[in-house]
Amino acid sequence: MTMALMLAWTTSSPAAQAPDANALIASLGRPAPARTSFAEARFSSVLDKPLVSSGELAWLGQDQLERRVDAPHKETSTITGDKVTQTREGKSPRSFSLSRAPQLKVLLDSFVALLGGDASRLGEAFTVQLNREGEHWSLALTPTDAKVAKQISRIVVDGQGNEPRCMRMEEGDGDTAIDLLGPLATKMPGEPTREALVALCTGATP
Amino acid sequence: MKFAPRAALLAAWLVCLGLLYVLITHTLVVGTDLRSFMPAPTTPDQKLLMDQVGEGPGSRLLLVAIDGVPEPQLASLSHGLAASLRKQPAYPQVVNGDFDLAALDGQFLFYRYLLSPTLDTTAMDAPFLADQLQQRLDDMASPAASMLKSLLPRDPTLELLKLAERWTPAKSPEVKDGVWFSSKGEALLLVQTKAAGFDPEAQEAAINGIRSAFTALPGSQGAHLLLSGPGYFSVVVNAQTRHEADVIGRISTIGFILLLLVAYRSVTSLLFGALPVATGGLAGIAVMALCFREVHGITLAFGFTLLGVAQEYPIRLLSHRRAGETALASVRGLWPLLMTAIASACIAYLAFYASGVGGLQQLAVFTITGLLAAGLATRYLLPHLLPERARDVATTPGLARLRTFFDELPRPRWLPVPIALAAAAMLYFAPGSFWENNLAALTPLPTDMLMTDARLRGELGAPDVRYLLVLQARDADGVLALSERIEPDIDKLLAGKALDSVELPSRYLPSAATQKARQAKLPDTTALEEMLATGLKGTPFKKDLFAPFVSDVAAARSAPVLTPERFASSPLGQRLSAMLVNRGDHWVGLATLSGVHDADAFAPLAAKTGDAVRLLDLKQASESLVAEYRTRILKALAVATLLLVATIAFALRSFRRAWHVLAPMTLATFMVLAVERVAGIPLSLFHLVSLILAGGLGLHYALFFERDTGDPDEQRRTLHATIVCVLSALLVFGMLAWSSIPVLRAIGLTVSLGVAFHFCISILMAPHASKE
Repeated sequence: MTMALMLAWTTSSPAAQAPDANALIASLGRPAPARTSFAEARFSSVLDKPLVSSGELAWLGQDQLERRVDAPHKETSTITGDKVTQTREGKSPRSFSLSRAPQLKVLLDSFVALLGGDASRLGEAFTVQLNREGEHWSLALTPTDAKVAKQISRIVVDGQGNEPRCMRMEEGDGDTAIDLLGPLATKMPGEPTREALVALCTGATP
Repeated sequence: MKFAPRAALLAAWLVCLGLLYVLITHTLVVGTDLRSFMPAPTTPDQKLLMDQVGEGPGSRLLLVAIDGVPEPQLASLSHGLAASLRKQPAYPQVVNGDFDLAALDGQFLFYRYLLSPTLDTTAMDAPFLADQLQQRLDDMASPAASMLKSLLPRDPTLELLKLAERWTPAKSPEVKDGVWFSSKGEALLLVQTKAAGFDPEAQEAAINGIRSAFTALPGSQGAHLLLSGPGYFSVVVNAQTRHEADVIGRISTIGFILLLLVAYRSVTSLLFGALPVATGGLAGIAVMALCFREVHGITLAFGFTLLGVAQEYPIRLLSHRRAGETALASVRGLWPLLMTAIASACIAYLAFYASGVGGLQQLAVFTITGLLAAGLATRYLLPHLLPERARDVATTPGLARLRTFFDELPRPRWLPVPIALAAAAMLYFAPGSFWENNLAALTPLPTDMLMTDARLRGELGAPDVRYLLVLQARDADGVLALSERIEPDIDKLLAGKALDSVELPSRYLPSAATQKARQAKLPDTTALEEMLATGLKGTPFKKDLFAPFVSDVAAARSAPVLTPERFASSPLGQRLSAMLVNRGDHWVGLATLSGVHDADAFAPLAAKTGDAVRLLDLKQASESLVAEYRTRILKALAVATLLLVATIAFALRSFRRAWHVLAPMTLATFMVLAVERVAGIPLSLFHLVSLILAGGLGLHYALFFERDTGDPDEQRRTLHATIVCVLSALLVFGMLAWSSIPVLRAIGLTVSLGVAFHFCISILMAPHASKE
């Protein structure tokens, strides 16, 4: 019992474990609305080659997130509270509950906490681990909820200084989505591979 | 009789009662279904009502709300409760907003192309497939990717999601953490019970099942479970009525015992005096248990009420004993009159048997057997048990003065005229409606409970209990086809705000013809593979990714169409089964409606379909049923009255004497009616039954007052007996009249008023005692 309590306490309290991580997270905070362009490569078992898309991610304050895709097709996804609404050109909007898509919930949690510089919120949903290598840092977020962790094994955010450069979402079935953020968004190679993108993210610029 | 034979007789009597009790406990099956106390329905709507009262999908629905703990915990309680109840066959349907794709059983998954309307408007051709594949590719680049990717290989057109959308209630509450929440922050669930809605016992079991499933959930401490719905109400009303009747019964029993002790000052007399009624009650139940497969709970309750008359028999015997005379001699003197009273009461109840209503026939068998048994026990058994010597009640202090007072009251011959006129005037000018047709008014619920129900019903979009849309066709598939045909009309009604939402049977399963038409549009495997290859050209999708899709289409193409019977093995099919009813030579589909604002708007639909589709107003049907029921009771009463007149006239061998007995009875009965009506009380079946009981008691008063023995002591004994009877009846029924439950109040008030009027009018209309 005591052991379990202590374990729960230590894992749910990043403040005690990683003051460095907290300081970093706090430095990442931006006032809402915060926007950043992205380019995503998705590696999936149902696909022969990665699927690349690009657009803009925006945090509109509180739990509102907007993901606008400009290429290959225009599409806007909005997360408001518990509802996700997808709008595509020439189609009627489609909406579903956030609870049906746990990876979205994870994305929302991590994104909102990072842009809000809110270390305690991040600590509620994830176990946070910080690695530094010179200028470069890497935050590994593992969902604390076992059910969520089954679908999203972890999210890795790479950055330099107070600038996140990449967000890598690793799913339980081995699928991975790698998002290049901000200035890096324009650097998506024509035929991306996981290795090349990871190298790009960790700053080993080719 | 000496002590030993008396003890032997008592022992033998008690053993007989014990045997009767054993017989009863082994054979008696008590039913609680209200329908067995209803008259046989005659119109199709009434027949449907009788099926629907209790068995319709709407009346078997329980509304459940959970609150008291934080939101995430409520959500997990809602998930837990739904999961636990879904495992139990007593709850065919449990919905909490978490739409479960498993509701469509795995074995029927490939039927999605026949169930979904997609193919009605598009062909499954190359452009359609190419467009769908492109959209799925976009999905893969969207946040929905990981939600959809597991569906993709089998269902690239997302037919399952279209079906899920189609099957999700049109108007549903807000979803948080995957479950429904009310605007007040309670987690909401809808539970359909297998138990009929108006079978309180079965409902109680179902409700207890929900409660125990809830308390077994981890984290349910501190959370509060709120239930509502017709089934829950029937349980509450049942428990309330039983509780209040028990409390009142206990108090009045104590009062009754005290009264008898004061009147006869003998504990033995009191104990022995209870034996005839006990005998009557047990004999009545035993005969009923042997004659009928199932005895209705209401019959038992009413029966015991009516059997209250029998308590008069031992009271008469006890009061009419005189010093020095054996009980046997006393009873012999009384018997002719007592026999007249018993016979006339039995004849009156015989009329109930002729009513043709199951419950009333049981009531007749019970009361007639009970009265005869109690009467015969009073005549042939009780006198042998009573002590040889008894106190003559004629010497009770004050009794003589009371008798003189009554004797000296003026008794004008014209008295019946003003009483009758007054009663007629009161009946004429009485406010409100004469009859109570609304069954619900007799078992009212606390207002806050009704408000909660309305609130939850509104939030959940749960169907109305009052209206049903009835679709009639030759067979089940005909109902489905009809349901499809009227979909556009219903959409128009929905758009015109005549109602909020509707659940048609065709929403769950299209007709065979529609399924075949969709089947015909499915391409064969070679064609499909070719089209897929074209559509996949230039996309990053893996080559054989969609093989499960190809095999599902092939299965759907060759499978026999899905019938309601086969579909019934899945949870969704169960929901459909509840909507389709086989009624002998035809089938009926029942579509539940919510928020009916304009019932008349359905008339054109009925006209267009030749009444194959019509709106059933359950309230109206039940009211017409009650009215018909009442007509039958009234007819039975009329016959009983004629029989009564004949019996009394025959027994007394004189129409003049019969007039002295029957006129006060009739007048008193009308006075009760008049007073209740002037007080604004509409009359219900319960008032009628109570009037009959009061009439039975009044008959006794009139018979005994009319008897002129010329012996002042005997007159005093008559008065004593009558006063004991009147007081005991007033005690028991006067208590009921204070009840908060209208059914009990109706019985209590009517009988108390009746006893009072019968007593007064009998005395005032009795012939003057001859002076010595």
